[in-house]
Amino acid sequence: MSELNMAVIKPEMMKSYIWIETADGSLQQVEQEVAMFCPLICHEVIQKGMGSSKNHAISLPQRVNPAMLSLMLDYCRFHQVPGHSNKERKSFDEKFIRMDTKRLCELTSAADSLQLKPLVDLTSRALARIIEGKTPEEIREIFHLPDDLTEEEKLEPLKNITDDPRIRLLNRLYAKKRKELKERERIKNVEAEEERVDDRSVDDLLSFINGEDSKGIKPSKNKKKNRRKKDQQKNTSPSEVIEINEQSNGLKVSDLGETSEKQDVTDEMFASKPEFDDGDVDDEIDPALKEKIDREVEDFARRLNSDWPERMQEILSFGQDMKVQHHSSNGNGTIKKYSDNQIRSRNNYYPSNWPYGWNNFDRMLMQSV
Amino acid sequence: MKHREPPKLPCKIETEQDKLSNLPAHVIDQILSQLPIKDAVRTSILSRKWRYKWATIPHLVFDNLCVSVSSQDQILVRNKLVNVVDHVLILHNGPIFKFKLSHQDLLGVTDIDRWILHISRSSIKEFVLEIWKGQRYKVPSSLFCCRELIHLELFNCLLKPPTTFKGFRNLKSLDLQHITLAQNVFENLISTCPMLERLTIMNFDGFSHLNIDAPNLQFFDIGGVFDDVSFENTFNLALVSIGLYVNVKKDQTLALGSSSKLLRFFIHLPHIRRLEIQSYFLKYLAIGNVPSRLPRPCADLNYVSIRINFNDSKESLAVLCLLRSCPNLQELEMLARPEETCTGTLTDFWIGDHWSSMFPQLRVVKIAGISGIRSELDFINFLLSNSPVLERVTVKPASVDGGWDLMKELLRFRRASTRAEIIYSDP
Repeated sequence: MSELNMAVIKPEMMKSYIWIETADGSLQQVEQEVAMFCPLICHEVIQKGMGSSKNHAISLPQRVNPAMLSLMLDYCRFHQVPGHSNKERKSFDEKFIRMDTKRLCELTSAADSLQLKPLVDLTSRALARIIEGKTPEEIREIFHLPDDLTEEEKLEPLKNITDDPRIRLLNRLYAKKRKELKERERIKNVEAEEERVDDRSVDDLLSFINGEDSKGIKPSKNKKKNRRKKDQQKNTSPSEVIEINEQSNGLKVSDLGETSEKQDVTDEMFASKPEFDDGDVDDEIDPALKEKIDREVEDFARRLNSDWPERMQEILSFGQDMKVQHHSSNGNGTIKKYSDNQIRSRNNYYPSNWPYGWNNFDRMLMQSV
Repeated sequence: MKHREPPKLPCKIETEQDKLSNLPAHVIDQILSQLPIKDAVRTSILSRKWRYKWATIPHLVFDNLCVSVSSQDQILVRNKLVNVVDHVLILHNGPIFKFKLSHQDLLGVTDIDRWILHISRSSIKEFVLEIWKGQRYKVPSSLFCCRELIHLELFNCLLKPPTTFKGFRNLKSLDLQHITLAQNVFENLISTCPMLERLTIMNFDGFSHLNIDAPNLQFFDIGGVFDDVSFENTFNLALVSIGLYVNVKKDQTLALGSSSKLLRFFIHLPHIRRLEIQSYFLKYLAIGNVPSRLPRPCADLNYVSIRINFNDSKESLAVLCLLRSCPNLQELEMLARPEETCTGTLTDFWIGDHWSSMFPQLRVVKIAGISGIRSELDFINFLLSNSPVLERVTVKPASVDGGWDLMKELLRFRRASTRAEIIYSDP
């Protein structure tokens, strides 16, 4: 191999040189052992026998200009010597990459085109250190990146980049409300129920609201919601009732059962409440309305929790040939199905002194018929 | 060149000056992979070209840094984390080679199942999952379909692979800590990963017999409660560190005439280079008839660290056998076990000069946790008089009491090596 590449040999130096041509046409001679540290040059010399003379100089890829080549050769010259310790190499590297970012990028590009992986690793690590922790404006400044994204592209939620303070405030309010509700539930709860049971209770509730006809669609959708909320709260049935209640409050949906698009709006309403991330959620609902809904929610929950068994007994006792369904006293209780005739019979007995919340609940029961 | 002209269009100058965006994609991937995931994703708003550059990074690391919500509400933080991971996984485009998930509030198991399923479709090579709190997480079967795995690291998990699991044929490094798996699952796992080179198992339950059949294994680190350990075909094993966290049962120690565990242990470790015997493992090795020396010396063994109760005669016998069988030992560390019951004191064990020049290569010795009892001092004396090239001995007592007396004794010992230094280190 060395016979092939014998160029000008200076006896006192005993080194062999190879010829290298950069993209701008300039030729230079480089010590062979230094240049061979670059895999690309090594490949050219060994496989193709290039570099032995001026006419057969190794031509480097376009990304390598003479300045970068000399930098890379400095790097190779140091590292190809086997005698240096790891510490020495590290300190050389640290000093070596101290240059402006423009040159650093060019060096990365040049090192990559010559397949000099250690140098690519070193420079890319340096670039990463520069980028880390800086704001986008700073990064654009340093690297001269054009600021050519439109405003709305910037706002597209990728990872909570937008931070609307209103939404954050609302979410905090909801978190607080939710916590209070949870506390009340815990006081009532005697035993913790499995999450599975909670799913079923909502299904039961929905199917009894919607009657027996609509089977598959809504329960699965509500299951999806529940899974999202699963981690957040253990109590479900009164709050589900609450949410369905507020939905009918806020949207005045006449028929809960039919259209799936209404269910989507419901999903959305639910989404805006339990999800705590900012900016990711399409918040179409007026904050004032939300406050109103909240107050109703609180009222309803309070009454629900305190009066549930008695109220249900009242409802049930008004009906004719009704089977009295047992409801567990805690707020987590499953709501068993009512048979059709029970619902119908309840319609006839509607005491006017019932609180506001119960109005809507009953209306929901009526709607399914 | 163009930059002589006055800048009519500022973006033109910028594109010439912007050297970063035009780097090849794999280089940009490399740069972005070295950033925390948050910074990497934020590059998407730098400029039009950068919008989706982050989406091809092959390394995804989700740890405590990636959710920067300073909230005490764990549920809030957890939801945010789930959101972040979901978003990143959906928007990511390209193969994922490394995935690490390790957040202190992580708990929702269905979320992790879903993410592992997604990852398993993507020829993952390195997978790290750390569940900081809660019960053992049952790893879903989709993880066992990752045929390209090279490194697997699990913390606080339960492994129950499906019956169709044929092993990780490319797995080189396995790190399991605080895990539960059944005995047959463990053996199956080891034997169906033929490329395994590094094995770390700490604090495990569900199995108690460690039968390691791994022809390429080089590094073995284990700490936990087990009944026995044996190696098979482990001719490449160079580094072994074993800690038995409970004392061996009484009936085992008293069994006379049984085969020596020490012998069995070293039969399949001909090329061992570094050995660490921690906690009560020496008691295990001392079970049975301890030979005076091993049939074949451990010629490559140059570092040994042993935790020993200097008052126990069986343990001392085991240590003696070992020390006689490693002629090329260069570094020795002896740690005294803070002992429960002293079953009598051992005297005159290390005294005698019928084993001279036992340590031809020993240069560095470290002895720690001692309390100055006779057997300990005898041992130090023994070392000093039999190590001709000894350079440094560091002695660190367990407490300040008796430190002065200890030093007085140490001063008197004769040294075979003229260059030996004795360094007394404060406890």
